[in-house]
Amino acid sequence: MSEVLLEMKGVSVKFGGLTALSDIDYSITSRSLACIIGPNGAGKSTFLNVLTGTLRPSIGSVAFRGRDIGGLALHRISRLGIARKFQIPSVFPSLSVAENMDVARWGAAREPDETDVLEMVGLSARRDVKAADLSHGEKQWLEIGMAIAASPKLLLLDEPTAGMTSQETQATAALLHRLKRHTAIIAVEHDISFVRALDTDTLVLHQGRLFRRGPFSEIEADEAVRDVYLGRR
Amino acid sequence: MKHRGRLVALAAGTCVLSIYPAFADEYHLTVLRDALLFGLFAVSLDFFWGSTGILSFGHATFFGLGGYVMTLVTMTSGLPAPSVLGLFAAVGAPAALAAIVGYFLLFGGVRGSFFTIVTLALSVIAQQLVISWSSVTGGDTGLLGVPPLALGGYEISGAMATYIVVAVTLIVVLLALRALEQSRWGKILIAIGDNEVRAAALGHNAPARLTLTFVISAAVAGFAGGLYVAIAGVVAPDLIGLLLSTEVIVWVAIGGRGTLLGPVVGAVLVQRAQQEISSMNPSLWPLILGCTFVIIVFVAPDGVMSIAERSRMLLRRRSA
Repeated sequence: MSEVLLEMKGVSVKFGGLTALSDIDYSITSRSLACIIGPNGAGKSTFLNVLTGTLRPSIGSVAFRGRDIGGLALHRISRLGIARKFQIPSVFPSLSVAENMDVARWGAAREPDETDVLEMVGLSARRDVKAADLSHGEKQWLEIGMAIAASPKLLLLDEPTAGMTSQETQATAALLHRLKRHTAIIAVEHDISFVRALDTDTLVLHQGRLFRRGPFSEIEADEAVRDVYLGRR
Repeated sequence: MKHRGRLVALAAGTCVLSIYPAFADEYHLTVLRDALLFGLFAVSLDFFWGSTGILSFGHATFFGLGGYVMTLVTMTSGLPAPSVLGLFAAVGAPAALAAIVGYFLLFGGVRGSFFTIVTLALSVIAQQLVISWSSVTGGDTGLLGVPPLALGGYEISGAMATYIVVAVTLIVVLLALRALEQSRWGKILIAIGDNEVRAAALGHNAPARLTLTFVISAAVAGFAGGLYVAIAGVVAPDLIGLLLSTEVIVWVAIGGRGTLLGPVVGAVLVQRAQQEISSMNPSLWPLILGCTFVIIVFVAPDGVMSIAERSRMLLRRRSA
C-alpha cells in the first residue's frame, strides 16, 4: 500500500519582490514517478531546492513522512531518505567512480548493502577511473548512480538527461521506470522526448504556480500548456 | 600506484633517518632534529589544508600554544610527571581552541579566503597576547629553562636521544594520519573538499567533519610545539606568530600539499638552505626563498614530491 511520502502545503518562496513559487499544494506517494516541466523561470529548480532544504519556504510547509523538513540542514534531509541529482553533473572529481559510489552509500542513515548500481548505470568497467576523467554523459550516469546508491525513499532528479544522447535518454527513462518499484521519483526536465518516454504524472509550473497536473498525454494535448511553452501566456 | 609510491618514499625516508646518526656529528643531528620537529608541524597543517582545501594562515597559534602550555605545566604546575601532563595539555589546549574557532567559523559557513584571513588574525592576536601578558609568558623574551622531557623517570636529553624521539614520533604521526586519510573518513573529507554541497546532499555533516579535522590538525601542531620547547628549552613569541604561520605554509607548498611526507621534505630543505645561505649573507635569504617559492608555484605547483611522481610517469611513458 502506498503512503503519502511528501506533502507541500501552501508553499510560497519569495526573493525580495520576486515570487519564485506561489501557494503550491502538492503530494507524492511512495513508489510513484512524477515529472515537473515548465518554461525557463517557471520555478522548477526552486521547487526542488525547497524539497531538499536548500531553500526554506517563505510561507507554507513541507513534510516528509509527516515530519516538517523546513529549515532542516541539507545532510539531515538526505538522511531522512531524500536523494538529489543536481542540474550540473556534480560528482567528486578527485575520487574514482567506485569511491564516489562509496561516499554516496556511507551518507545514508542506514548504510545499504553494496549493490551493483554501477552495473545498472553502465559504469562497472570504469569503476577505477577518476571521476574527473569521465565524459559529461558518464558523469550524469554516475551522479544518478550515486543518488540511487543510498537507497533513498524519494529521488529528486534535476534535468537528469541534460547532455545525453537520445539513446541514453531513453535508457534513463527505462531505468526510472524500473526504480519506481522501490522509490518515489520526481524529475525536473526540459527534454519533452524524455517526459514522453516517462509518460507519467506530470506537473506544469508557470510563473511559480502549479499550472496543470495530470497524465502526460493530457498535458501534451492541452492547448493552454502549449501557449505557456510558446510564450503566448 | 600513487599511494604505493608514497609508501615507498616514506620507507626510504625512514631508512635515511635511521642511518643518518651513524654519519652525522652532534651539531648536524640537532639541526635535522629541529627541522623534523618543524616538519611535524608542517604535517599538521597539511593534514587540514591538503585534505580539505581550506588554508589556515594562523597555524602557528596552535604550535605556539602547545609550546607555552607545555612550558607552564612543566615549569610552574608542580605536578608529578609534568612532561607527560605537559604533552597532554599541549595537545588538549590547541585542540580545544581549534574546536571553538572551528565551530564558529566552519559551522558558520566561513570558507576559502575568509577562513584564511580570520585564522591569520588569530595568529596576530595570539602573538600580541603572549607579548602583553609578560607576567605569565615572559613577554618579548619568552621563558628560558623549560625542563627536558622526562618519561617514566628517565630524562630524555642529548642530541641522539632527542633525535630518536622526534624521528620516531614523526614516523608514527605520519603513518597514523596516512591511515586516516586512506580510511572512509579521508575519502569523505576529499569529497567535502571537492564539493561540500554535494557531500551534504548525500548525508554527510560537512561542518562537523571539517571541524574535527581542524581539531586533529591543531592537536598535532600543539604536540609538535610542546615537544619543540621541551627539547629547545625555551619558548618565545616567534613560535606563535605570523612569521612562523607564513613559513609553515611555504614548507607545505614547496614540499607538496596533500602528500603528508612532502611538507617534512619542504621543512627540512628550506631550513637547511636557510642556514647555508644565511651564513654567507643574511640579507640574501628572504630574496632566495621568495624566488624559490615563485619558481615552485610555476614549475611544480604540487610541490617537490610531485616532481618525483611526474618523472616516474614520464619514464614509464617513454619505456611503453
